[in-house]
Amino acid sequence: MTEPRFEPNAPRRAILAGAALSGLVFMVGGMARLLTPAEAYAADLPLALLTDGERHALEAVTEVLLPGTTAAGIAHYIDHQIAGPPGDCLLFARAVDVALPYAAFYQSALAAIDAAATERHGAPFANLSPQARIALVTAMRDGTLQKWLGPPAPFVFFVLRNDATDVVYGTVAGFDRLGVPYMPHIAPPTPW
Amino acid sequence: MVAALEPVDVVIVGAGICGTMLAAKLGAGGKKIVVLEQGPERAPADLISSQLWSRRLKWSGPPVETAGSDPTGYRFNTGWGVGGSGIHHYAQWPRLKPEDFRTHSLYGKAVDWPIGYDDLRPYYDQVQAEVGISGDHHAEVWRPPGDPYPMAPLLTTPQADMLAKGFAALGLRTAPMPLAINSVPYKGRPACIYDGWCDSGCPIGALANPFVTYLPLARQAGAEFRSSCSVTRILTDAAGKRATAAEYYDAHHQRQIQPGALIVLAANGIQNVRLLLNSARPGHETGLANRSGAVGRYFMAHLAMPSSGMFNQDLQNYLGVTGGALLNQDGYGKYRPDGPFGSYTWAISSARKPNDIIGIANTEGTLFGAAYDRFLKAAVRGLATMMGVGEILPKAENRIIYGDGKDAFGFPAMKIVLSADDNMRALAATIRAEGLKVMVAAGASQIWAPNDVNWQHLIGGHRMGSDPDQSVCDSYGITHEISNLVLTGTGIFPTEGATHPTFSSHALTQRTAEYVLKNWAGLG
Repeated sequence: MTEPRFEPNAPRRAILAGAALSGLVFMVGGMARLLTPAEAYAADLPLALLTDGERHALEAVTEVLLPGTTAAGIAHYIDHQIAGPPGDCLLFARAVDVALPYAAFYQSALAAIDAAATERHGAPFANLSPQARIALVTAMRDGTLQKWLGPPAPFVFFVLRNDATDVVYGTVAGFDRLGVPYMPHIAPPTPW
Repeated sequence: MVAALEPVDVVIVGAGICGTMLAAKLGAGGKKIVVLEQGPERAPADLISSQLWSRRLKWSGPPVETAGSDPTGYRFNTGWGVGGSGIHHYAQWPRLKPEDFRTHSLYGKAVDWPIGYDDLRPYYDQVQAEVGISGDHHAEVWRPPGDPYPMAPLLTTPQADMLAKGFAALGLRTAPMPLAINSVPYKGRPACIYDGWCDSGCPIGALANPFVTYLPLARQAGAEFRSSCSVTRILTDAAGKRATAAEYYDAHHQRQIQPGALIVLAANGIQNVRLLLNSARPGHETGLANRSGAVGRYFMAHLAMPSSGMFNQDLQNYLGVTGGALLNQDGYGKYRPDGPFGSYTWAISSARKPNDIIGIANTEGTLFGAAYDRFLKAAVRGLATMMGVGEILPKAENRIIYGDGKDAFGFPAMKIVLSADDNMRALAATIRAEGLKVMVAAGASQIWAPNDVNWQHLIGGHRMGSDPDQSVCDSYGITHEISNLVLTGTGIFPTEGATHPTFSSHALTQRTAEYVLKNWAGLG
């Protein structure tokens, strides 16, 4: 079948200059640097709010939701955003009426995931087998976990799946991985 | 005791679509205007083409809780900063239809508006000429009388063409969506280039956002915009008969009193209700202008029922406009002998980016892992979508009330309570079923649609009406009890039809501005 092509007779888009924006500023060796979350992950920069346990749970559960989140810097992205002013926040949680502070949502959600994993399997989520991880995420999605102590499990699934999508495919680099032309009017301040 | 600031003619609360438009119109009429905006100053350079960065354009004020059996989202429907939600709205500008104004007279349902379509038509026409709409009034067979659109329709996309075949195969009609987006240069603004970033804001100004419509006109007319100013109450005279000032906290959290001869609430409907409730005082014990008890009641949203189909072709669904290239209103007839009551509209072939609420990701909400990854990679090529927008009727128990939290100044935060009734669910199911049939008829290899009731738009909460015992304000938005207190926006709608509400808000605001200028001496 011939693929239709849409080629409007429009003038070429102009990349407009954006406002002076902070971007994602990470501290590296005492110096402020604009980095992508993936770069921050590769540099193994310390996190501001998330504990090691929360980080491991976040990386493990989002890897189940969408492979590639860890290397894309999911932990550094979430940590950076929940540590900043809510008015500057870029998180999906903002758009779906998660109550402030956003850190409390993530911390309680990750604690609930680890508690559910421990209750089922005697170990935190990051230590579970691949099959057990998938089973637990399925139960989160379906709301069938008997003991769940955090925000509603299907909502946690919904938000974290969107976070995973944001870091893997919601960026200039992510569009490129999908083969979708980005075509910005005003380009984001960082290419992630 | 805080000294009052210098009095002005008009104090407008909220710098969104209605606030900027009124500021432009009343300012041009010689009135001295101050506009108080809770969010920050904004500029077109803030409209970054990104589903991540554009989240900064959404509400970031005091939390608004959502409740009821079918709660609606709040922040998604709102704005934050000068320009309000107009900055990121999709510019779908169909008109309400004559029957939308007469639901009670024609069908014995809900209430009539105190005005009819003929009363509003001239203002639709005026705004249409001022702002510019692209469309085809011949093809749009459901359109009520009105001047022809000043611009030809935007181009359709492969996605739109594919879905149009599905409608046609079922004997249903499609027409270009009337869009406040330029198909050709119009009044100094460029034409759309179909990059599909409307949802993140249109910095080139092809889409009629306040930056390129009424905000510059308001500033030219001398209106003063004060951003990061949180209005907490409307103050009244000793008798409670006149509004005297807006109380607010400035960017430094200093309390200020801004007197004005006319006070206009042009925040969104939820925030307008907040201010009326916060301003309770002797003589207005349950809230300002609330003798009827209607403040906060009869809240509505639109049913938002998406349908999706996967096609074995590259539909280039990242191109076009977020609002959709086409519409169908064959389901607009409200009465069905054997079916649910209410109108619906299809907004067809939205441009979609991979992520975010309206992104490709959330058209399918259950997959994860490798299956989800495969879905995304297929859907960026072959996904086609459309949104069914359905009417619900106002019910007193769907309300805007105080929530449990407090804002930064000690006033209660708000809560929206919304529950669907059997008719609403049945209409949602009707829309869903038709959407899936269209997808099959269009040749989709997979089809799906959510079963849950979803919502968009925030409508009602301080409705207009002829009866002061049943409504808060008249058709100009002037409250029944305080003649120099004016309400604007979708909050004054008594019923909602099944049309996107922004154009109707513009027309109503245009009518209010004209009335206020003509009757200035009689207000207050």
